[in-house]
Amino acid sequence: MSGADGFEVEFVDRSERSARFLVRGLTPALANGVRRAIVADVPTFSIEHLRVVENSSVMFDEMIGLRLGLVPLTTPLDDFELGDTVTIALDVEGPATAYSGDIQTSDDLVRPADDDVPIIQLKENQRLELEAEAVLESGKTHAKQQGGVAVGYRHLQQTVVAGDRDEFEDDDGPQIVRGVIEEGAPEATDDDVAEGDLVLTDSFGNDLRERYPGKEVDVEDIPGAFVFHVESDGSFSVEELVLRAAESIGSRAVELRETVAV
Amino acid sequence: MELLVIDKTDEELRMEVAGEDHTFMNVLKGALLKTDGVAAATYDVNPEQSGGQTEPVLSVRTEDEVDPLDAVESAAERVEQLTDEFADAFRAAADA
Repeated sequence: MSGADGFEVEFVDRSERSARFLVRGLTPALANGVRRAIVADVPTFSIEHLRVVENSSVMFDEMIGLRLGLVPLTTPLDDFELGDTVTIALDVEGPATAYSGDIQTSDDLVRPADDDVPIIQLKENQRLELEAEAVLESGKTHAKQQGGVAVGYRHLQQTVVAGDRDEFEDDDGPQIVRGVIEEGAPEATDDDVAEGDLVLTDSFGNDLRERYPGKEVDVEDIPGAFVFHVESDGSFSVEELVLRAAESIGSRAVELRETVAV
Repeated sequence: MELLVIDKTDEELRMEVAGEDHTFMNVLKGALLKTDGVAAATYDVNPEQSGGQTEPVLSVRTEDEVDPLDAVESAAERVEQLTDEFADAFRAAADA
């Protein structure tokens, strides 16, 4: 396990709810540990238990319950502990569509991350009125409690030009790579890039034939370099999600160390 | 995290680590293999449906008179250090 020379993190792509970043110096075990912790161990609020006052909609209470459970709620983890609950209420009368934005919460810190998630369309004389408890739990208990969606990583790959392509060779189609490559042959491209620059494969249609016309290109994994793609459901930022995941592994290590030491 | 020592000799340890899964056990195993004096380290988890031992069992064998529990302690310390370093590096990149 490296770490003697520390880790190197570099963001490749970043927006409010998603990020792509490169980490150098990771072992596969730690990379996968972080990924698994992002998905299963960082808790978020989700609606868990309903008290239905009136449901004259076309859906059963259980179906409404499922749909409400899937609405992401903002989760300030500093202010709550695992198992804490927040009361929410919803009261919509038809004709109208009940949206996540109609959900009222007892705590301003916990509210729907998006206001435009449709819950159910109500016709004339239909009404949905309910109270519910949102609970802070980890993704291990139920997928609705996951803060990370589409979380994964790939090896960082380096491109190396092995030579020119044979002019009369059969065309065997595009040469596809996905994610991020480390530029290993800047002279063979039209772009203004230097050797070692990170290039999103999206920028050349994921096809190496596009980027290196007429060249025979080899792709090699770079050891210990992983490109993570992390998307948050809006419960909190990507940065917080990743840091909490690392913290959760670290806190278990502390617990183990202290228990063994006694 | 509940620990239950199943077998322990001067250079062998089998220990149940209740409440954990691959997320932590695999990272810990990786760190153990890099720890001085550890000859072998692995863990085993059975699926929920197996009906038997479903909590992970960590197995460690040491050499050079290293106590296996001490090895686990220093591996845990290493994991702690690694996650801290990762968090620091990530925070630095995020704030940049």
